[in-house]
Amino acid sequence: MATGARKAVYPLFQLGGPQLRIFRPNFYMLAVRPGVPQPEDTVQFRVSMEMTKVDIKNYLEKIYNVPVAAVRTRIQYGANNKRNHKNHRVKKPDYKVAYVQLGRGQTFQFPNLFPEKEQDTETRSLEDLKDKYMEREEQRQKGDPRRGGVPDWFGL
Amino acid sequence: MKGWGLSVPAAPALAPRQELAGWKAGSCTWSLAANQVSRPPNPALSALSRRCEMAAFKGRRLLLWHGRCWFSQAEPPVPPQPPDSLYPPIVASATAKSKAAKRRRLEHFNQQVHAAASIEEKLQLYGKLQRPKYMVYPQTFALNADRWYRSFTNTVFVPGLPPRAASAAAEAPGAAAPEAAKTPAGAAPEAAKAPEPGTEAPEAVKAPEPAVAARAPYLDVGELRSLVCDALLQESFYQHKERPFLYRDQDHTPGPFLTQLVSTLAAFLSTRNPLLAASSLDLKPEVNYYWHHGEEVVVRGYRKGRVDPVRFQIDDNPHLQIRVPKQLPEIVPLESDLGDVPVIDHKPSKLPLFKRQYENKVFIGSKVADPCCYGHTQFHLIPDKLKRQRFIRANLEDQIEVLYRANGIASLFAWTAAQAMYQGFWSEADVTRPFVSQAVVTDGKYFAFFCYQLNTLALTAETIQNNPRKNICWGTDSKPLYDVVEDGSVKGFNDEVLFNLVRFLLNRPREL
Repeated sequence: MATGARKAVYPLFQLGGPQLRIFRPNFYMLAVRPGVPQPEDTVQFRVSMEMTKVDIKNYLEKIYNVPVAAVRTRIQYGANNKRNHKNHRVKKPDYKVAYVQLGRGQTFQFPNLFPEKEQDTETRSLEDLKDKYMEREEQRQKGDPRRGGVPDWFGL
Repeated sequence: MKGWGLSVPAAPALAPRQELAGWKAGSCTWSLAANQVSRPPNPALSALSRRCEMAAFKGRRLLLWHGRCWFSQAEPPVPPQPPDSLYPPIVASATAKSKAAKRRRLEHFNQQVHAAASIEEKLQLYGKLQRPKYMVYPQTFALNADRWYRSFTNTVFVPGLPPRAASAAAEAPGAAAPEAAKTPAGAAPEAAKAPEPGTEAPEAVKAPEPAVAARAPYLDVGELRSLVCDALLQESFYQHKERPFLYRDQDHTPGPFLTQLVSTLAAFLSTRNPLLAASSLDLKPEVNYYWHHGEEVVVRGYRKGRVDPVRFQIDDNPHLQIRVPKQLPEIVPLESDLGDVPVIDHKPSKLPLFKRQYENKVFIGSKVADPCCYGHTQFHLIPDKLKRQRFIRANLEDQIEVLYRANGIASLFAWTAAQAMYQGFWSEADVTRPFVSQAVVTDGKYFAFFCYQLNTLALTAETIQNNPRKNICWGTDSKPLYDVVEDGSVKGFNDEVLFNLVRFLLNRPREL
């Protein structure tokens, strides 16, 4: 998801016309699972490259009502080593990472987005049938076990 | 002997002097006679043995390297061998990339430090190897820093000051009578002696009373209050100063006030406390300490994948400190357990804490030869970037106390541990008696008091495993000394803070 800021384009204002200009930030923050374990009160975000620590703090506090105690940011350089079919270097985009420490003793644990699906009885029997069918097909493809894996066409 | 391929001289047993000559000639010729395994230490030989050992362990080809230089003085632990064995002892290699070799190198290093002749040499060897280390700042804006610092230093935090002995309470009635009129509801003001364990109260009750009667019967609290108010008014009201420059507020008024306050109070109380009379007051001293705690795997670089100890360094600059020639008495016994040390699984860089490589310094404020080698009290001034007002504006009121506690714990740990190192203790040679120091952390108006007892220096990964001892820090919340200064008078003076301060300054060993 692109987290850049885009310039808002408003129609030209003339006297008596509708007042359409809204001064809201035009960039987005993406909460990500941390690659290395972070303390319980730290949330990791990918933010737009133009955002500052103050911007991030205000964004979270005013729009989402999240108490923010401290913000630290860094810019992750995207590698430029991969080559495409024309041997041109392909750059992965750079992005800014923000580590936000929550205030008032709150904690955050990134949720597990892909939990293990529970096995119902119907699906289990269907998968058993499938497995059995595949086994039978493989058995048919195999030749006589007494020939020890030698193909049928080999012989006098 | 012959199996080593060396040229063996005719005489099977050489005198040490001949061996020396043989070595200096550049050819490794000696014989290890069976009955020469244990030799009396020879000073000429010990230097030689050290050089040869160094050569052995650095792996340099200083001489014909057909085997090992082997002198019994620096011998690592060997498996038991019959005394008439002609073969040298079998031990792990010293240069291989193996765990056994690493253990042997560490063992060799530990023996070198144990065998160091003087404290300066010991400190020099201890901090010789420079590697990137975490810089721990006692005065930090990091959130919940005191919890992290407690885990780094194996410290238990006990809120409130340590309980005073009944003997001190016995003097209180004598002292409180004239002051009851002045401070009806204040804390018990005392000409207090050092805090002692309660078990010794009965004997001590008799001793202080005649001693106290021999001196002035009570401390004049009015005198003390007037001293404090004089210093405060002089700095903030009577003296005309220019407006402070940006971020120089603390150096403008609270800094000089604290210096003036401590020097006058120490001078006033030195008659009662002979330790203060023999003490040394340092202005803006430097206190440094370097230690290892825990282990980590090196992430990047040519040493990637190796297991390294996590190194820390504290470089602290208290505003003032008082060093004394005699140590303060212990508050609780060495092996006491007053709480739990927090265990934090994350790397210290998440605090945030940053790494740098520079000199590994251990310093208490004066060099080793100084007679005042024990600590009494430190006074810390909170800088402008960490003022109360800034925390309140950022909605971080709970972090104000965290700042004071982190400052107390880190600074006092560094000071007491450096004092212990000055006496020859280190992580492999743990302290045999507890080291006690005190600190006052203030921002000019709010004062917080801390006592620290260092029970153990063994914080490295191997030594902490079977170490039941923990360091203990007692501390109070920050309380204001006064409410406001206006029109040449101090309004809302808080006597409790003053009594705590006086009690700290009057702390002395039992014998004095």
